[in-house]
Amino acid sequence: MEYLPNFKTHRPSTAAEAVKFFAESDEPRYLAGGTDLVVNVRRGIETPQTMIDLTGVEEMTGISDAGGGLRIGGATVLREIAESPIVRERYAAVAEAAGEVAGPTHRDYGTLGGNLFLDTRCLYYNQSEWWRASNDYCLKKAGEVCHVAPSGKRCFAAFSGDVAPALLVHEAEVELAGPGGTRRVPLQDIYRNDGLDHLATQPGELLVAVYLPASTAGIPSTYVKSRVRGSIDFPLAGVAVRLQRDGADVSDLVVALTAVNPYPHFVKGMDAHVGKPLDDEALDAIRDTVRTQAKPMQTTTVAPWYRRRVVGALARRLVSKLYEAQG
Amino acid sequence: MSKSMLSLTVNGRTRDDVVPDNMLLVDYLREVVGATGTKVGCDGGECGACTVIVDGKARHACLTLAVSCNGKAVETVESLERNGRMSALQRAFNEKLGAQCGFCTPGMIMASEALLRHTPNPNDDDIRRELAANICRCTGYVKIIESVHAAVAETSAKEAAE
Amino acid sequence: MNDMGPVQTIGVPTPLVDGPEKVTGRAMFAADYCVADSLVGRILRSPVAHAKVKKVDVSKAREIPGVKAVLTGEDCNQTFGVLPIAQNEYPLAKYRVRYRGEPIAAVAAVDVATAQKALDAITFEYEELPAYFTAEEARAEDAIDLHEERPGNIERDVHYDLGDVEDGFAKADLVMEEEYQCAEIAQVQSEPHATYAEYDTQRDKLTVWPSTQVPFYVHLMLERTLEMEKSRIRVIKPQLGGGFGCRTETLNVELICAMLARAAGGRVGLVVSREETFITHRGRPETAVKMKIGMRADGKLLAAQSECVQRGGGYSGYGIVTILYAGSMLYGIYDIEAIKFDGYRVLTNMPPPGAMRGHGTVNMRFAFEDLMDRMATKLGLDPFAVRRANLLKAPTFTFNDLMVNSYGLDECLDWVEEASGWKDRKGKLPPGKGLGMACSHYVSGASKPKHWTGEPHATVNLKVDFDGSVTLLTGAAEIGQGSSTMATQCVAEVLGVDMGRVHTISSDSAITPKDNGSYSSRVTYMVGNAAVDAANNLKNVLTEAAARKLEVPPDQVECLGEVYRAGTQDEGLTFDEVVMEALRDTGTITVKGTFTTLPESQGGKKYRGAAIGGTMAFSYAAQVVEVTVDPDTAEISVDKVWVAHDCGKALNPLSVEGQVQGSVWMGMGQAMTEGTRYHDGLGITGNMLDYRVPTIVESPPIEVKIVEAEDPHGPFGAKEAGEGSLSGFLPALTAAVADAIGVRAADLPLTPDVLLKLMEDKARADKKAAAQDSAEVA
Repeated sequence: MEYLPNFKTHRPSTAAEAVKFFAESDEPRYLAGGTDLVVNVRRGIETPQTMIDLTGVEEMTGISDAGGGLRIGGATVLREIAESPIVRERYAAVAEAAGEVAGPTHRDYGTLGGNLFLDTRCLYYNQSEWWRASNDYCLKKAGEVCHVAPSGKRCFAAFSGDVAPALLVHEAEVELAGPGGTRRVPLQDIYRNDGLDHLATQPGELLVAVYLPASTAGIPSTYVKSRVRGSIDFPLAGVAVRLQRDGADVSDLVVALTAVNPYPHFVKGMDAHVGKPLDDEALDAIRDTVRTQAKPMQTTTVAPWYRRRVVGALARRLVSKLYEAQG
Repeated sequence: MSKSMLSLTVNGRTRDDVVPDNMLLVDYLREVVGATGTKVGCDGGECGACTVIVDGKARHACLTLAVSCNGKAVETVESLERNGRMSALQRAFNEKLGAQCGFCTPGMIMASEALLRHTPNPNDDDIRRELAANICRCTGYVKIIESVHAAVAETSAKEAAE
Repeated sequence: MNDMGPVQTIGVPTPLVDGPEKVTGRAMFAADYCVADSLVGRILRSPVAHAKVKKVDVSKAREIPGVKAVLTGEDCNQTFGVLPIAQNEYPLAKYRVRYRGEPIAAVAAVDVATAQKALDAITFEYEELPAYFTAEEARAEDAIDLHEERPGNIERDVHYDLGDVEDGFAKADLVMEEEYQCAEIAQVQSEPHATYAEYDTQRDKLTVWPSTQVPFYVHLMLERTLEMEKSRIRVIKPQLGGGFGCRTETLNVELICAMLARAAGGRVGLVVSREETFITHRGRPETAVKMKIGMRADGKLLAAQSECVQRGGGYSGYGIVTILYAGSMLYGIYDIEAIKFDGYRVLTNMPPPGAMRGHGTVNMRFAFEDLMDRMATKLGLDPFAVRRANLLKAPTFTFNDLMVNSYGLDECLDWVEEASGWKDRKGKLPPGKGLGMACSHYVSGASKPKHWTGEPHATVNLKVDFDGSVTLLTGAAEIGQGSSTMATQCVAEVLGVDMGRVHTISSDSAITPKDNGSYSSRVTYMVGNAAVDAANNLKNVLTEAAARKLEVPPDQVECLGEVYRAGTQDEGLTFDEVVMEALRDTGTITVKGTFTTLPESQGGKKYRGAAIGGTMAFSYAAQVVEVTVDPDTAEISVDKVWVAHDCGKALNPLSVEGQVQGSVWMGMGQAMTEGTRYHDGLGITGNMLDYRVPTIVESPPIEVKIVEAEDPHGPFGAKEAGEGSLSGFLPALTAAVADAIGVRAADLPLTPDVLLKLMEDKARADKKAAAQDSAEVA
């Protein structure tokens, strides 16, 4: 028998009901698949008194056409996204990224919303209560010191979701339901570069759905992650690329990263390569630009300098691959 | 302690139990139902020993709240025998030595069962992809892959004969 | 009648006798014994690495309703430890804690929430002491001693200098030296540690179901630490979810559970988490190896010199034996005389390592074989030729007096060379692809037992009664390796009956004969021989009974398994008829078989500890590993492994294949992805995400060839199969990577970050060399 704190579980059937439960409950947390949250509860990192189980909210599941784009419910499981013919056809990187999350069983019940709202991760944080207490906790939770960068007052825990960068390159928007009503914002607006508090959403806000626009549908894209093992592992670094080629020139290039900073983000400066052919020099420049914008710290057992090297190498490889494939 | 009514089927039998809201499915199965075939091998979602099938899909019983299975159908390794006869997968894991110590086996077999329902005729890559959330420390996986193939071969031979 | 014959079982691929239970979920592991109304045990662990225990205040915990027992080091009067010369651990820390996570208190309560509440209510007062997390820190001059009786924190130093090493180096055409570093490895057996214990207050009797490979040692340590008569203790080993060596000594979990059951006067289940299983440790120690080899131009080994430092933990465990194996097993595989060895096992404030699969030999074999490969390259020799220049010729004794009666390494080499297409493919693969090879060996049980009582090494009992079944009673711990199947096969083969006639019951101290346990690959050789002996004794009894009934002399009775007859024209007696005759006057038949090692197999006396390594037989293995290295990410894919393993007669070829595949693959984990990490003695990798056991995705096809160099004393000629091919993977991998990209690795695991660093260093060095060359040309 595993030890878990006492909590009450609600199972609403609409998003509005879920938001209402959240507002009315003590220490509430939204629960979808639970692949991240339940682990953290078992480790005492999260101590909710109320769990709001979203798996019964019908409007939050499923993939549907939205004017040439797509609407994907926040509680849609990752396998459904990975195997969806329409997602694969229109937004290849999104399907690929969903298919790279953790292992197959996790993807059978882990959800899109869960992957986007994944807590940031660090060797000194994803440990048991006994472990963290023995180590005087850490800046991110209950402690004073960051064990990764003891002299600073910043938390460098890394955002480690796979799907976010793929959605970023396709300019996804998210529909959030909260106590103040429903709003739709670009995906990047829900994140900030702070491992301690990387979500810029309001308390009680719930990710109802993700919208992928028609404007980026069908543009070639791809996602790849670095990890030590072929499955289960979180990314050490992840890269999504969207690239359109027009003759010899690159007509559209967007790159986004995950797992190398506390938040998923676009790589700046890619516009410089648009309107030109892509040669080795340009590819090297892309690689180097990516490396300068990745700032991994010792949050995994694998050396941060490696994650920085590899994120650049993978970006170069993906850009080259998409460019060559359209030649 | 908050408790809720849980109505579901476990291995085809309807049950109604009052369970704590914070009870994990694996503890419900092992301690309330008494089906100890499902194992706990890690501290949450890392090893796959607790893999069960919920509404037709593989799931970690160690990361699932029992109450969230209300109205659902849960299947464990104990469900696979029919009239006292092991399933093709079980026979294959036994005969091909897909099980050595046997601790990861219930989860491995349930993940294989989910695979075969999804992909009845898997190749090596399919098997590798779909069993990739289950850690085995004995076999190096070679005989696990052989076991899944053997189960498929036995099932196809039987179907051809019928 | 003439077509009838004894049923053949040996050499036939045979599913496990306990397989059906495992695949149906009916197999009962320790945690499965915990019933709804048994108490829940929990352990409170030290937050600090090294401290004097001032006070563990449990008064508040005891007052919590539902708490049935609370124990601390004050309740522990006796130490425990697997080696009689190194018992320095208390079940719960008494005067000092010596590693982070060491148990300091334990509770038994009505449920997990109450148990947790009780742990939270305990306070621990301590006085911190300097803590040492590396062997170097612990060996520093000003370091305080972890244990008074181990000055300088040296658990054991081992030194030998055999043959003329200096002369060997002087005569060598090439002498090379290299330093190797191998990370600490954990077994990560599938089942976290668990024990269930029942204390019967009426009868003062204790029954314990521990997740152990050594129920007999657990029994002895229960007697010692609970200060209880051993006749009042019963140890039943349940189904075991693997062990790989971490359970070859009694663990604190088992003792604490039993203590709680007695204190609470009832039934307690103590099932610890994966993190706690990592903390309990007993894996392969972090090891630094300096290796120096002298080789003739034709590849002949002339001398070797090695220093090995193992970072032990806060307690001894098997440490002394581990460092002795590291030295002695430099011998036993090649024809070499002159070797100098200096080994140091150091006590540090870390969780104690123990006897992991390939005990003591793995990191040394890695260093030795890797250096051989480097030297082969330097001398322009094929690595196979270098091995072939150094083969032993059995029967022989090695220069440190290890007995070698059978030796199939030459045949192993031939097969992997052929199967891998080595001659045609080596050096001709596309860029980034490479082949590497290496050899390895292991003992078939230690000939000198560490608990010397004068008893045989193994005893097996057989019981035959009115039903005509044969009940096989063995203490051999079935840990998933198939020992019960092996013993069943041995008995069925000798009697010539179907295995279905034999019921095997293992590891229950009230029923089965004592056995030392499942470690150092002793079971097939020793218990197998005892089973054969018992079956022969039974066969004699049955043959005599048949002779009486058939009214012929016993030597005229022919045993066909299911039929005993006198001559081919005789209809004969069925097995049941023979049994009924045998039961006449005597009643139930019980016979016994035993096995004892030969004195000359028990190792030498040339240095202190030279008995370690002594065995009745060595297994041998060779393997070829094929890899692809990604030039950008330095990720290594193992595309294929060909391995040949000489296990003597393969009693169960199916099991042998499974064992060899599992060994090679476990070597792959150590070589590529695994390794513990600590933050000031606090295990960072105490979970199965950060400690990376390979998944099925990156696990390669492993083609196995069973080589059968039959051993004259093994059961049907059998030797060990479950450990010997592990260590060869490590050097075969580093050789394959060198072949693929020209980079030599000396530190394991070879994770992508480690390899990329080496690749970039090489690229820089190549560039610099090219610049110098062009400067010289200019």
